[in-house]
Amino acid sequence: MNDTERSAARMRSPEGIRGSLHDFLKIAVDKGAVDSVLAPVKVPAENSYAWILMNDPAVIESASPVAPVMPVQGAKALKSLTRKGKGESRILAVMRPCEIRAGIELMKLNQVHFDNIVLVSYDCPGAVPFQDYVKDPGFSEESFGKMIASGRPGEENIKPACGICTEFSIVDSDIHFGYFGVDEGSAFVIPVSEQGAELLDAIGLDRDAKIADWESEISSIRDKRTKKRTETLSAAGERIKGLDGLINAFRKCIGCHNCMSVCPICYCRQCYFDSEVSKKDPDFIFEIAEKRGAMAFPRDKVMFHAGRMTHMSLSCVSCGFCTDACPTGIPVAEIFSYMADITQPTFEYIAGKNNGEPLPLRKFEKKELPLVHEIVKSAEGEEGSDE
Amino acid sequence: MDKKVKKEFDPKIVGFLCNWCTYAAADLAGSSKMEISPALSVVRVMCSSRVDHNLVLTTFFNGADGILIAGCHPGDCHYGEGNYYARRRYALLKKVTESLGLESERLQLTWISASEGNRYAEVVNSFTEKIAKLGPSPINCRSDL
Ligand code: SF4
Ligand code: FES
Repeated sequence: MNDTERSAARMRSPEGIRGSLHDFLKIAVDKGAVDSVLAPVKVPAENSYAWILMNDPAVIESASPVAPVMPVQGAKALKSLTRKGKGESRILAVMRPCEIRAGIELMKLNQVHFDNIVLVSYDCPGAVPFQDYVKDPGFSEESFGKMIASGRPGEENIKPACGICTEFSIVDSDIHFGYFGVDEGSAFVIPVSEQGAELLDAIGLDRDAKIADWESEISSIRDKRTKKRTETLSAAGERIKGLDGLINAFRKCIGCHNCMSVCPICYCRQCYFDSEVSKKDPDFIFEIAEKRGAMAFPRDKVMFHAGRMTHMSLSCVSCGFCTDACPTGIPVAEIFSYMADITQPTFEYIAGKNNGEPLPLRKFEKKELPLVHEIVKSAEGEEGSDE
Repeated sequence: MDKKVKKEFDPKIVGFLCNWCTYAAADLAGSSKMEISPALSVVRVMCSSRVDHNLVLTTFFNGADGILIAGCHPGDCHYGEGNYYARRRYALLKKVTESLGLESERLQLTWISASEGNRYAEVVNSFTEKIAKLGPSPINCRSDL
């Protein structure tokens, strides 16, 4: 991120941020700064949105860069396009902050390549829970529209994960649209990376606006959110702690693995928990059943979730897709965010924050970080460790 | 837990031992006729970094009372840096199991070199004692896991 330059361009539209972003897409393609756009478009049945890669002006006209729902994590769309390396055409992708952060994690896992992608983020008011939207698109559109017009993050009718999100604004994208607390109809277009600044120059957006007020607005919202997040997640932690708590938390789990398949971080082609090796021999199950007196099926529900927590909590961006996808209403995202907020600080890491930083398990320190050292010191033996 | 039960408790511990150091130390301890707790079932791995999360969690959720991961001392890994990665992974596992309230003390990482037969016997005996004091893993009496 480029911290030295914090002046921005300003765009205005009678339709607020949605209008400004939409105009921006059109201009960028028009002026040839990018070849195509990746953004949500409302499906013809008008009951959902889909990611569309488009370069036809008529299709771009129908784009809804700020959609009320998130049916598919944007990082997954980016992965489909770039998993084999950089593509031929230059794409402008408009995504929510958590989608960009998931994309950054996937980039570190070699599943996404940013070389020919210009990422555009915006102050995110939250997203409507998918089930609510599908049930009543009209009401959801209306309440989301009001949310956006208020120039503040939403409080009601948003996903629980959004209500406790602290990374709702500028992230490690290329260009950010800031409009929280800015006068109505107006948005700051902030260059985040060099590539972003170049693009703004190329399309002739002058950067003469000062954004200090917007910045302080964002940080005051973030403070409130941080407080709410800490409270919510520590309560969740208390609920699930211990074998009883954990088993109870996942008692309704039917083992469908939806939470995993919508998770942007779980990219493995074959998950261990779906694989043949993870299935125990019936003889072995009989043996355990005999020892324990009985045996519930499906087996290994808690192990599945504990396993996912160790595998992806370091990269979890708390996007809330798992909760949205759970057919039995388990607050999966809350539980995983609780874990993420413990494991990430242990490694002094914030998922999706910085695209130049390696994943915590892909590196080490000979003299470990203080919180890691605290855990491993008993392993080091009396002489102490290291070199 | 009642004392009588505790006395009869025969802990089952799984040890993931690195081929190049701890496994050799186990051998040395054995051929030197040291007294070693029989509670530990040995799984030989080529490096402590081979021990991934699923290996540990599967062992844990299928009822092991204790899990020992042992590799070469930092700086001495046969493959250069494997044990440093293993150390980070272990830290993560500990953090997750602890935050879930799953008796993370049943999980232990240690470094034992090929020449430390003595230390091998000490570590295994004292870990067995520790697990014996903790009692059987609560997972073993759950039919709903
Ligand atoms: S989506 Fe819900 S029911 Fe399906 S595996 Fe995940 S937690 Fe269980
Ligand atoms: S070879 Fe022993 S820990 Fe890597």
